[in-house]
Amino acid sequence: MNRKRIVRTFAAALVCASVLPSAALAAEADYHHVHLTTSNATEAMKWYTEYLDCQPLTDRDDGVDCFGTEVVFESRATLGSSQRTGIDHISFSYADLTAKMDDLASVGVGGSGVRLQRFEDGSTLRDAPGLFKYGFIFDPWGTRIELVEDSDTLGFHHIHLSSTDPAATLEWYQERFGGEPAQLRGQLDGLRMGDIWLLAMQHEGGAPAATAGRAIDHIAFAVASLDPVAGELERANVQFLEQPGVPDGGRTSAKRAIVDGPDHVSLAVVEAGFAGIVSKMDEVTDITTELRDYTVPRTPWGTPDFQGVWTGDASHGIPLQRPDDVGDAAVLTPEQAAARRERGTLGSIWGYEAEWRDTTLGYVKSAPSRQVAMVIDPPDGRIPARTAEGERLRAEARAARRPLPEGPEHLSSWVRCITRSLVQTPGVYNNGFQVVQGPNHVAMQVEMLHETRVIPTDESPFVGSDIASWRGDARGHWDGDSLVVEIRNFNGRAPYQGSSDALTMTERYTRTGPDTLEYQFTIDDPKVFTRPWTGMFTYVRDESQYELVEYACHEGNYGMTNILSGSRAKEADAAR
Amino acid sequence: MKKRYRQLLASAAALSVLSIMLVPALASAQGQASRAFDGHPDLNGVWQAIGTAHWDLQDHPAAAGPVDTGAIGAIPPGQGVVVGNTIPYTPDALAQKQQNFENRWTDDPEIKCFLPGVPRATYLPHPFRIIQGDQKIMMVYGFAEANRTVHMDKANPERSPIDSWMGRSHGAWDGDTLVVDAEGFNGESWFDRAGNHASYALKVQERYTPMGPNAIMYEATLEDPNTFTEPWTIRLPLYRRLDENVRVLEFKCVEFSEDLLYGHLRKEPTR
Repeated sequence: MNRKRIVRTFAAALVCASVLPSAALAAEADYHHVHLTTSNATEAMKWYTEYLDCQPLTDRDDGVDCFGTEVVFESRATLGSSQRTGIDHISFSYADLTAKMDDLASVGVGGSGVRLQRFEDGSTLRDAPGLFKYGFIFDPWGTRIELVEDSDTLGFHHIHLSSTDPAATLEWYQERFGGEPAQLRGQLDGLRMGDIWLLAMQHEGGAPAATAGRAIDHIAFAVASLDPVAGELERANVQFLEQPGVPDGGRTSAKRAIVDGPDHVSLAVVEAGFAGIVSKMDEVTDITTELRDYTVPRTPWGTPDFQGVWTGDASHGIPLQRPDDVGDAAVLTPEQAAARRERGTLGSIWGYEAEWRDTTLGYVKSAPSRQVAMVIDPPDGRIPARTAEGERLRAEARAARRPLPEGPEHLSSWVRCITRSLVQTPGVYNNGFQVVQGPNHVAMQVEMLHETRVIPTDESPFVGSDIASWRGDARGHWDGDSLVVEIRNFNGRAPYQGSSDALTMTERYTRTGPDTLEYQFTIDDPKVFTRPWTGMFTYVRDESQYELVEYACHEGNYGMTNILSGSRAKEADAAR
Repeated sequence: MKKRYRQLLASAAALSVLSIMLVPALASAQGQASRAFDGHPDLNGVWQAIGTAHWDLQDHPAAAGPVDTGAIGAIPPGQGVVVGNTIPYTPDALAQKQQNFENRWTDDPEIKCFLPGVPRATYLPHPFRIIQGDQKIMMVYGFAEANRTVHMDKANPERSPIDSWMGRSHGAWDGDTLVVDAEGFNGESWFDRAGNHASYALKVQERYTPMGPNAIMYEATLEDPNTFTEPWTIRLPLYRRLDENVRVLEFKCVEFSEDLLYGHLRKEPTR
């Protein structure tokens, strides 16, 4: 139970990339592939096309062809990087690796970016004498990829096993799946399988982790007929993770089996003609925003009852304003919604592990929101025009920005751990809030920055207008099943979309189902906007998995120290 | 030394018994506690400690404050709130307390606007609100936006998975007393501006006993084998703030700590 807050589960679209062999390889050593788990096939296909020069497949929509080796993606839960498993990495070879690495470095890690592994001296490339130049990158879903400069084999280069007994492991593979024992450049032991290498290195420190569910889930070999091979494997006491048979969703009637290979490397054995399985998203809850036939529970003293822990996870990725490219669509298609969430979360978490993102956001439990944009009024989904004063304030705020902050006041209230935002826009993590109610108050403990909003509902007056504050003074009242909160007395120092100290914000909270809470916010700032405007999104309740943690931001704000000392260091450099 | 501790503990125990007898007497003397819809005492409202416990939990004479603040910053004398007035530190922990005291104008988590921990949040010179309904109880403090959710699961507590400044609180009613077990602390908090402290092993049992509609007797027993040779108790009343339309106002103290923490990293250093 205690684990739940650390491993707040999530949803996972399960994707897996299969590296399918070239026709030439299939003829010689039978077809094999590597399954990579990612969380969105479309994004993964784009990534391998854009950064590793693979080509879209013409005959199916879930894979790419990497220099004759097919990479096919399929929905699958991702449980972590391939590194330290029995299949540590896959490898691509380029004629000019220095140029390739420079290209990849310029992509950056933002969005579905490229994560470069740096060596201890900070470099991304090494030159192994007598071998070749090499370096490592990670895809956004945790697959470790070695890039090498081996002019003998360009393109898809090798699969690198990590084994407690490499020699025995290679022998095991050769006995069952063929390949020629050989040494790569006379240094690395492996099997030559057509154009590519199957290499095995000594695993350092304990046993490798099982591959099942990790970024490289398994590798696969094809055989003409599965049953005799399966029989052989059975006699050799190899454990079956999946019994031979036509898998659910198989595109053809070819059979597949999955076995537990050396070092708990999962191995698929497929019959000729196997063409993968049609991926399907897990059964997930669709968060709809229509009011349902639902009786809102009441507290013992008769008001609507909102108590519990709510999270914005399901609404993560909804843009504030309607994007230009969706026309007048009422909602996104499920595919568009899935792709948007993937882009949004990758964009937010860049430096974090994908599996952390998946566990944090509860992807297994909620479908991505199909809401096009938060702004529901004006009906065009766009923030209304600003007044002349609003434009002036915006220009002033821009002009006040400093590339190198001179002190804390040049950084945002969020970076300073003062307050995050007047609207609790669902961020990628720690976006929950806990509601506790008493007869005359609703208290909302906001996880991010541990602020607690105490909202009187007893018709008591606002505090004096000279008491301005970052989050303002709130008063609530009940409107049928809704809690309506009016907030004034902002100091204007934590502006929302450029709002000023003239802002009056109105919030409306309405439970639309047992686990859904619709949140509307109206921004009325006559100094800045030509008309009031309203946004909306939905919180979900997930008490079984989501628990607030103490977001002690200021107490551990090393970011401030680093940003300011880094700025001083840059100034000193520039002055030199 | 050991003998004296025993005597002190004995007198502490005697005081405890006395206070248990005293509390109902006080309640009847000052009127009955208000009752919530479910018959429990109604602790809803804004409360605040009065006194100098935030300066020093123990008896202390008047002393100068930080430089340049004159009489405004001077430390008023105060009668301690520690039952028996002695905190049973281990020798190492006592040395740490003394070191904390020496460095209090830079090292005190309060001066840095850090979360105050328990029990310190209760008797800081700032009001706090208790929100009590039919489920959990929330305590919202004026200082540093500290807050606690009291999970009413004292009998079968769901332990804190990670240590934190404010810990995790498990509550239950014992007659008219709200009893809260707080644990899961990170050991970074101090108890006062005099440098009293404990480790992450700290366990606090708090008792909130109404003394009538407008006062609560607050007791906290602190146990931490890393720091103290015995459990010890503080006791002080909390008073209901009766000011018209009284609120726990937003007091974001972070910006007031920034020069202390980052002034040396400004382009024009202030420290």
